[in-house]
Amino acid sequence: MGKYTLKRVITALFTLLAILLVLFILMQLMPGSPFNDEKLNADQRAALYTKYGLDQPVTVQFFKYVGNMLRGDLGVSYNISKNTPISQLIKTRLPISISIGGYAVLIGAVLGLLLGLVAALKHNTIWDSLATVISVIGVSVPSYVFALALSYNFGFKLGWFPMLFSPNDIFKSSVLPSISLSMFTMASIARFTRSEMLEVLGSDYMLLAESKGISGFALIFRHALRNALIPIITVLAPLIVDLMTGSLVVEKIFAIPGVGSLLVNAIQSNDYNVVISLSFIYSAMYIIIMLVVDILYGIIDPRIRLAKKGGD
Amino acid sequence: MKKAKAVVAVLMASTMMLSMTGCGNSGADSGNAGTAADNAADTSAADNTASADTSAQADGAEASGATASSSDLNIMLETPVESLDPQQATDGTSFEVIADFTDGLMQMDADGQAVEAIAESYDVSEDGLTYTFHIRSDAVWSNGAPVTANDFVFAWQRAVDPAVASEYAYMLSDIGQIKNAAEIIAGEMDKSELGATAVDDSTLQVELNVPVSYFLSLMYFPTFYPVNEEFFNSCADTFATSPDTLLSNGAFIMDSYEPATTTFHLTKNADYYNADSVQLAGLNYQVIQDSQQALMSYQTGALDTTLVNGEQVDQVKDDPEFLTIGAGYLWYVSPNIAAVPELANLNVRMALTTAINREAITNDVLKDGSLPTYTAVPMQFAAGPDGSDYSADQSRYSDVCVYDAAKAAEYWSAGLEELGVSELTVDIVVDADDAPQKVAQVLKEQWETTLPGLTVNLVVEPKKQRVEDMQSGNFQLGLTRWGPDYADPMTYLGMWITDNSNNYGLWSNADYDAIIDECTTGDLCTDAEGRWARLYDAEKIVMDEAVIFPLYTQCNAEMLSSKVTGIEFHPVALNRVYKNAVKTE
Repeated sequence: MGKYTLKRVITALFTLLAILLVLFILMQLMPGSPFNDEKLNADQRAALYTKYGLDQPVTVQFFKYVGNMLRGDLGVSYNISKNTPISQLIKTRLPISISIGGYAVLIGAVLGLLLGLVAALKHNTIWDSLATVISVIGVSVPSYVFALALSYNFGFKLGWFPMLFSPNDIFKSSVLPSISLSMFTMASIARFTRSEMLEVLGSDYMLLAESKGISGFALIFRHALRNALIPIITVLAPLIVDLMTGSLVVEKIFAIPGVGSLLVNAIQSNDYNVVISLSFIYSAMYIIIMLVVDILYGIIDPRIRLAKKGGD
Repeated sequence: MKKAKAVVAVLMASTMMLSMTGCGNSGADSGNAGTAADNAADTSAADNTASADTSAQADGAEASGATASSSDLNIMLETPVESLDPQQATDGTSFEVIADFTDGLMQMDADGQAVEAIAESYDVSEDGLTYTFHIRSDAVWSNGAPVTANDFVFAWQRAVDPAVASEYAYMLSDIGQIKNAAEIIAGEMDKSELGATAVDDSTLQVELNVPVSYFLSLMYFPTFYPVNEEFFNSCADTFATSPDTLLSNGAFIMDSYEPATTTFHLTKNADYYNADSVQLAGLNYQVIQDSQQALMSYQTGALDTTLVNGEQVDQVKDDPEFLTIGAGYLWYVSPNIAAVPELANLNVRMALTTAINREAITNDVLKDGSLPTYTAVPMQFAAGPDGSDYSADQSRYSDVCVYDAAKAAEYWSAGLEELGVSELTVDIVVDADDAPQKVAQVLKEQWETTLPGLTVNLVVEPKKQRVEDMQSGNFQLGLTRWGPDYADPMTYLGMWITDNSNNYGLWSNADYDAIIDECTTGDLCTDAEGRWARLYDAEKIVMDEAVIFPLYTQCNAEMLSSKVTGIEFHPVALNRVYKNAVKTE
């Protein structure tokens, strides 16, 4: 297992380096340049390119960037917050996105599991149909529709929660965005839980367990749900990264100072360093979550753990 | 537990239903139509509370019926602040915020005229080449240090320093004509040679290459704002990125701020030299990019002022709190005269410009109060020696720029004949933003209906790409805009001289260049009236030759709470000034 993990970590590092290179090349292909404001003349543009080292060949820029990054320097922003170190920009924003996304994952996963369980256990009843309807709505309606609906009703009409994010009351102002973001997760988890549970509940070993006299909670949680979890974790992993890296539209609606809106603003103004840094952080988070998932598989399903041991 | 879930489910469903029916509702109705004022500037309100209480900020001073409130003004911004460093900032939002906590030598009064601020007085030499500013003794930075002439020298040297690469360096060189500025920017001279020197702590002397009639009005432009050298050096690279790395010499002090944040706050500066006249306790800024959320927040009372987008105008236009405010920008179509032979034909250009129904664009499409414009210099930003608006008379060029379908068709057939063709296809490049696309769509329709045989293709691009294409001459027609940098027609007319980087069509006319020369560096520099009259001659050439097709002067639609008076709106430099605002409860 240790050797296997080490191999995975090294592969992950090379993948990240490759991603960085691709990002650099993509930046060159982006339309426009960071400094082509109408008000600048050619000399000033040249001065700005020199100042930020953009006049050098891409390969030189790339290796310089990698070198600086290893020292923890992600460069400075060109446009959206002139000359501000990216690390400073991200430091305050990433935690906000992660916490709102984290709440969303938590709400979505818990509600989704419960909904899926109910649907599976009360198969072919009104509860099953209701759960299916909710899942379909959750998957097909985009999160910004929920965001607008929640904001209009609970923010504007009832005034229970703030319509806009406020740093003075982070918890209360995270409620509406987290719920809007959790809908898709909840619905997908519910759907998967339902179908996996139905499959597991119909299997022979469940019949055996039941015939041994195991019943109720123990039967469902220890025997059925545990087996149903593997595919669910596979679905959940990318959703976690997605939510934690901030949602552009929901952040825009609730005026949340997160990384999602930062990335979009950066792309629109060709703020290369910000785009590269954020995309890189997303990739890193994704790869880390995937690693964690691999390890989780082993814990949940002994077959995988044993198979790997045998393979080594 | 099952019950709880059922409740949740029902809640979700009902939330959705509510939203579907609810969003279409419009806001308050009021029978009071036609109050959409052009200008909300009302400074008199600021003066009527000039009672003797100099001490307390908190307890309201009861004066003339209304109680001046000590609460914060809640302001909506559409975009985050890009920089609070006066020499690095380039956008209107940043300028507006910098001016909240920094005063320059001069400031704008309610009418946009330059009046003394940090400078107590100034002298101009007879030849108009030397300005001497006397700095007031009671101006202090928020760390206690006095504001001195050296603060200006240091800041201005930063602005032209090639290592700093300030994007607005040209305000000192091309526009301000400060001695040696251009050479320093080009790297030919050391920044210490700049023609701005501190004679002593309270005297700043500025030398110019040529007399600049609008020089004093540049002094309220943030690029010219002072920076305390010692404080700047103590901040190293973090200058102007947090309340700790910002110094104030103005009406307010920044007390919570992070780069690119969505909320920040300023408090009244008790040590401001003019603190007695500042009525607000503070400014509370909120960046909201979603216009629907912004309007709803305004309606809940969380905001005192907000921008309204074109689609929302119908919803709120009868509200007495609705206003439209001149934003200064001229939107125009630039034909590529040098590279596209068909557009080099004057008749074709005349046909295109006379086929545009500008009223239809502003009234039916934009609906935000934007003004149809028939002059190359937009309205309401430059006042002449007699104080009147340069472009007040919109019929000045009506023989060459007016909507006239019959005349357009005549020009068109004459143009086609000269070119020896019966039909034409033209591309127009537009920004991928909402308003420009809508405007271009209408232009296409108007042109194709009025001018038989014309096909117009819209090329929609991200703004950065559109600008790049126009700068490199890779376009046929381009829809673009220009905001004034200073309150003088030259900020527009200076663009169409031969080889100017914003003369996208590469049009060239020796007579025109000569007039502009005469007005910037030549004989007319010191003759305000003569220069003004001569500028019209230059503008006439641009219009006669259809070098650009002006469309409209942009206005912004806003909501402003009836509790608030005294916000000063300007189309140039500082769009909104809050230090004289009053908010009543």
